[in-house]
Amino acid sequence: MDTAPREKIEMDFGYSPEQEALRDEVRQFIDDYVTDEVQDEIENWGEGGRGPLVRELYKIIAERKWVGITWPKEYGGQEGNRLDQYIVEEEFSRVGISVGGAGSGAPAILAAGTDEQKKEFLPGLLKGEITLALGFTEPQAGADLAGLQCRAVKDGDDFVINGQKMYTSSAHYASHIYLMARTDPDAPRHRGISIFLIPMDTPGITVRPLWTIQSDPRAPSKTTYGQQRTNETFFEDVRVPRSCMLGEENQGWYVGAMGLNLDRVGASRYLISVRRDEDIINYIKETEFDGDSPAQDPAVRDKLAELWIEAQVCRLMTMRSMSLVNRDVNFTYEGSAEKVWAPEHGVRTTETITQILGPYAQLLHGSDEAIEDGLFAHNVMGAFQSGINHGSVQVMRDQVARRGLGMPRG
Amino acid sequence: MDVLLSEEEQMVKNLAREFLEAECTPALVREMELDELGYPPSLWQQMANLGWFGMALPETHEGQGLPLTYLGIILEEVGRAIAPVPFHSTMVAALTIVSDGSEEQKREVLPKVAAGELILTWAFTERNPKYLPETIHTEAKKDGGDYVITGAKLFVDNFNVAEKCLVVCRTSPESSSSKGISLFMVDTLSQGITHTPLVTIAKDKQSKVTFDQVRVPAANMIGELDQGWPIVENMLDRGTALLCAQMVGAARKDAELGIEYAKGRVAFGRPIGSFQSIQHMCADMTIWVDGGQMLTFEALWKMDQGLPASIEVSQAKSFCNEKCEAAVRSSQVIHGGIGFMMEFDLHLWFRRVSAWSMRMGTSFEHRARIAQMLIDQPGRVRLGMPLTPVA
Ligand SMILES: Cc1cc2nc3c(=O)[nH]c(=O)nc-3n(C[C@H](O)[C@H](O)[C@H](O)COP(=O)(O)OP(=O)(O)OC[C@H]3O[C@@H](n4cnc5c(N)ncnc54)[C@H](O)[C@@H]3O)c2cc1C
Repeated sequence: MDTAPREKIEMDFGYSPEQEALRDEVRQFIDDYVTDEVQDEIENWGEGGRGPLVRELYKIIAERKWVGITWPKEYGGQEGNRLDQYIVEEEFSRVGISVGGAGSGAPAILAAGTDEQKKEFLPGLLKGEITLALGFTEPQAGADLAGLQCRAVKDGDDFVINGQKMYTSSAHYASHIYLMARTDPDAPRHRGISIFLIPMDTPGITVRPLWTIQSDPRAPSKTTYGQQRTNETFFEDVRVPRSCMLGEENQGWYVGAMGLNLDRVGASRYLISVRRDEDIINYIKETEFDGDSPAQDPAVRDKLAELWIEAQVCRLMTMRSMSLVNRDVNFTYEGSAEKVWAPEHGVRTTETITQILGPYAQLLHGSDEAIEDGLFAHNVMGAFQSGINHGSVQVMRDQVARRGLGMPRG
Repeated sequence: MDVLLSEEEQMVKNLAREFLEAECTPALVREMELDELGYPPSLWQQMANLGWFGMALPETHEGQGLPLTYLGIILEEVGRAIAPVPFHSTMVAALTIVSDGSEEQKREVLPKVAAGELILTWAFTERNPKYLPETIHTEAKKDGGDYVITGAKLFVDNFNVAEKCLVVCRTSPESSSSKGISLFMVDTLSQGITHTPLVTIAKDKQSKVTFDQVRVPAANMIGELDQGWPIVENMLDRGTALLCAQMVGAARKDAELGIEYAKGRVAFGRPIGSFQSIQHMCADMTIWVDGGQMLTFEALWKMDQGLPASIEVSQAKSFCNEKCEAAVRSSQVIHGGIGFMMEFDLHLWFRRVSAWSMRMGTSFEHRARIAQMLIDQPGRVRLGMPLTPVA
């Protein structure tokens, strides 16, 4: 009998055979290339950025065309499917290598950059030769980013920048900073901001480290917000040509929002919120304390199943975002909703784990008797940060209510 | 992968919504709470004419052979309208006949179901309301060419109007080779059956049904003797996922009522919907219902693809039980006192979503099932990858 496949007329929660094959290929690559030495480097590469082995590896990954899959061909991409990129990112994220993301910078450059800027930045970002520090937050402007004060004053064909940025995480190794500055102090808050892409070695820029509560001892690489260091970055009469501006003058708020929206979703955002679910289940399956296993405790079992369900919702929200992006549909509230649910889930799991492991969950990296090298303890210190960064859960809920549900401003 | 509605699905959904908004008003819902039948036959017939009952039935038996997600979408809309019709119970039984009935049984039942001429239900639960084979004590004893059924069932949906009921019976003690369960299709008017209506939060029609030496021809057995448990498990899984679709639809509408109310109700000189605490409740309600909806449709999709879906069903029901309930309760809170008043419609949704959260498996039961698959089998788990069921 002829068994022609049914024409696809319904929603689809599965990956195509090609995508399954891609996943297998990436996994095989990881088996072959992410050796013990590479893993060792990832685990012990102190302050952030990539070590020499990972940098080498990253070049091979880029040669395989696994980075920037959705980008236009002329800038090194393949005009491919967002979900393919997602699959690659998920597999590499799981071994501590971030690919394809390039933070919120690349999407903004793609959307708002001039042809020269695209040529200057995109291929380099793709190969890992260019890295962008994110210069948004200031001492007096965090969640309320539009209050930023860092000034860029026009002077002939140049801009002269003065001000301070906070928590510029990769500023101590990045090649450039993706900077939001005020170009028109008299315009309404959102309409006087511009974005600049500035080489970090431009005279007048200084970087001072800020050490996090994960810095001593340092956290295992898989930790949610396990980063040891971030920075303050100071701008003192930093002169840059106008060609450093990304997008139109005073349109920076909208250019920046474009990138941020995409940066709130995707594989790494998803994984930082759900990996502890897998970790604790896999851990207790093989663990007993003097013959007593948490895996047999009905309260623990109920709670872990509950968290597992929540994690599925994180996964499905990520898939929803991917589906929207693939259809070229803008988010109204979906990205924000995901950015509420997933980080808060991550915190619930992290804190549940402390009550499953009790005193063992205190033990940090390097301690005698530490479980999973202190991962769970370090996660307690970091998990909640995920609900503050890149749009805090409070602000994200405001957006769901106002943009998604049309509720009035206070 | 594209978890959003397809164009065709969106169309079906829109049409269903338009139809129900016109034909199934809160006034009708209220009327049916007091009605003896509990459903309006004219609305039932209109739904049949729209093709809803045959949607998921095979084309060989007057159905349309559409994916199960379509039926889910319709039930979601039926839930949104809290339409008082014996749709869910009819579909649960009909789909079991599709998957496990004989050709004879299919021919007898399915075309009539599609035409709206046959209302069905199913009976599982007895004294212990868990979904386990050992809770089944209703006995079916062979007697010549018949089986004779004796026992009592609880919480049987729409028994008052159903013509046939799939009754889960014990035919043997549980053994290593089977759970000793068989499934029979029973005429509800058979001699020896009595039923007592139960008074529920939802004011729907549920019954306690007793079977006293009820005679059923052996040809009414669905599947093989003593091998009924897997059939019943599938029936329950399908029923649970479809109930989730209904819950999600009703909870969504209820949440929307809360959100709209918040935009208009003024306190302390401004709409309460401009207070951040109210906005955040509304954001959470939306997130919860979205989550339940996606879990539900993933389960339905997997079933439709013939993939194992028990975990997904349990995920959906456990989540919907708690989060849909939280959403409708939040909506009550946003409404203050008025939501508590009989004359205001909101409670019509609130009471139903609450009742549905108590049926077809509690959160604890479903999570126990998930925990078993997560924890009791060897090997590592990974999100997004299937968990193979434990034997
Ligand atoms: C480890 C780390 C790395 C970071 N990396 C970078 C980086 O690379 N580049 C960069 O630009 N920034 C970075 N950040 C900054 C981060 O994005 C900010 O911390 C974040 O935006 C919050 O700003 P804030 O710390 O000033 O808190 P605040 O804005 O002062 O917020 C404090 C609290 O008030 C709440 N709040 C604020 N507004 C409202 C409101 N309207 N309603 C209700 N509650 C509200 C917030 O949700 C939060 O809980 C990093 C931060 C950390 C900790």
